[in-house]
Amino acid sequence: MKQLSIRFCGFGGQGIVLSSVVFGTALVTKAGLYAVQTQSYGSEARGGQCQAELVIWDKPLNSPHVAMKDILVAMSQTALDRYLPSLKEDGVLIIDPGLVTDTHDTKARVFKVPATETAQALGSRICANMVILGFLQAATNMMSKDDLAEVVKESVPARFVDLNLRALEAGREIAKGVNLEVMES
Amino acid sequence: MTDTRTESRGRVLTGVHFMLGNYAVAEGALAAGCDFFAGYPITPANEISERMSQRLPEVGGVFVQGEDELASIYALAGASLAGAKAMTATASAGFNYMQEGLGYCYAVEAPVVVVDVQRCRGENFASQADVMQMRWGASGDYEAIVLAPSSVQELFDYAIRAFNLAEKYRSPVIVMSETTLALMRERILIPPADAIPIVNRRKVTQPPSPEFLPYKAEPSGTPDWAPLGSGYNVIYSLNPHDERGRIDWDPNVFEGLYKRITGKIRDNRKDICFTESFHMDDAQIALVTYGSEVRPAIDAAELARDKGIKVGVLKLGTVWPVPEDEIREVAGQVDAIISVEMNMGKYAGEVERVVGGRCRTFRATKNRGLIHSPDEILAVIEEARR
Repeated sequence: MKQLSIRFCGFGGQGIVLSSVVFGTALVTKAGLYAVQTQSYGSEARGGQCQAELVIWDKPLNSPHVAMKDILVAMSQTALDRYLPSLKEDGVLIIDPGLVTDTHDTKARVFKVPATETAQALGSRICANMVILGFLQAATNMMSKDDLAEVVKESVPARFVDLNLRALEAGREIAKGVNLEVMES
Repeated sequence: MTDTRTESRGRVLTGVHFMLGNYAVAEGALAAGCDFFAGYPITPANEISERMSQRLPEVGGVFVQGEDELASIYALAGASLAGAKAMTATASAGFNYMQEGLGYCYAVEAPVVVVDVQRCRGENFASQADVMQMRWGASGDYEAIVLAPSSVQELFDYAIRAFNLAEKYRSPVIVMSETTLALMRERILIPPADAIPIVNRRKVTQPPSPEFLPYKAEPSGTPDWAPLGSGYNVIYSLNPHDERGRIDWDPNVFEGLYKRITGKIRDNRKDICFTESFHMDDAQIALVTYGSEVRPAIDAAELARDKGIKVGVLKLGTVWPVPEDEIREVAGQVDAIISVEMNMGKYAGEVERVVGGRCRTFRATKNRGLIHSPDEILAVIEEARR
């Protein structure tokens, strides 16, 4: 595979960092790939800007950062405004259309994943990040859905496991027919 | 990710993990036998304390949150002299405060491990600006052992190495961490417990007596350890002391003590120092670097090779003592050496001292709160190319 970089961005409290950690854990401990995850967030525990970066390859990685990302997941308009310039021109932009309305006429392939709305319908907006991960898993096929579910089970408090697994499944549904072909290249 | 488990997981978490750097250095310490941790909160080192506060009680160890950095480092000295494998973790500004106690540990030869997660002033931006503080921060005469991991795996591995060196030479050992590595997650393989080499300090064999000489250290230079509180009546003083441990200002006592304390490290450079080479076989330009900067340096060397420039990397696993033989050998092979580091140029001076004019020298130095990109290093390679 080609080296792949994903940036997750939004505001604190949306589970941006957790989603990058869960996805990275599944890639490394289940799918046998290499990944480096880094993050930055405002000093506010909630509400501040927040981003996490995941670089993925089938070989060990050196530089922990990649200037131009292949995939940008934006969960707020402010975060998109800030990080869109770091998305490759032919990259993939995944947005939550309830939170991001202006994509600045980007040339990237745009996927609208109504994560927050879907999560709310399932019972709580806190699992919006898992809707996104379900979408990413199905659209990239970098790990099996069971492997991802396994890591989610190990990563969230027991009383939220069922909710999060249903959110993953809902995200997979939204990805029906989407193949980003990251493993083929 | 919050770890919600409470049952004991044992000392060694054998297996593949996607682990935070700060957790990996804590796990390495536990695998090495660490059973005492004292520290005072500071970012970006807090996840080390957090992890130890959860893990040490699981394995029968002791976790202390000190009232400040001084109390923490002195708690390490006491615990260590009583027989514990003791560690603390701090970050640049907190490391300043620990220098006094660290100097005490060098003087009384207390094996302790200190993790300094270097950051910029006031915030969590990346930096390697403590590289000189790690060597020269404490007063008095001593030699520092400082290890520079460049990955989450090495944070684990070097923590073990740090404890083993501390025990072997009865000296503080510093693990040079950085924001970049501490807050990074990546793949780590923790081996089975029985595959991890453990070194324990030599203990005195003779019983307590008035004639007992706790600082007599022939022939190795490192005295055998008499457990604190077991009747040997040893004074552990920062001041110059004779072989019995009595404070003595006699010039010959000074000389004997400081020759031995520096000598036990200097004479064992070959055992302590380690380096790693990448693409060095036919290299005409060498990047000499340490810590997280090794990573973009290897990428830069590969980019340069794509352009037909033969570049290699010498990674310094120990930054102190300086791996002089290894740097000198590279200087004899290449046309130019570039020092790569994340500060305004500190260790570069050491590299240039050792090179001593054997080849041309350049610097790729930077302090912008961010690790070098491979392209930035490549630009200096282009400049160094004849």
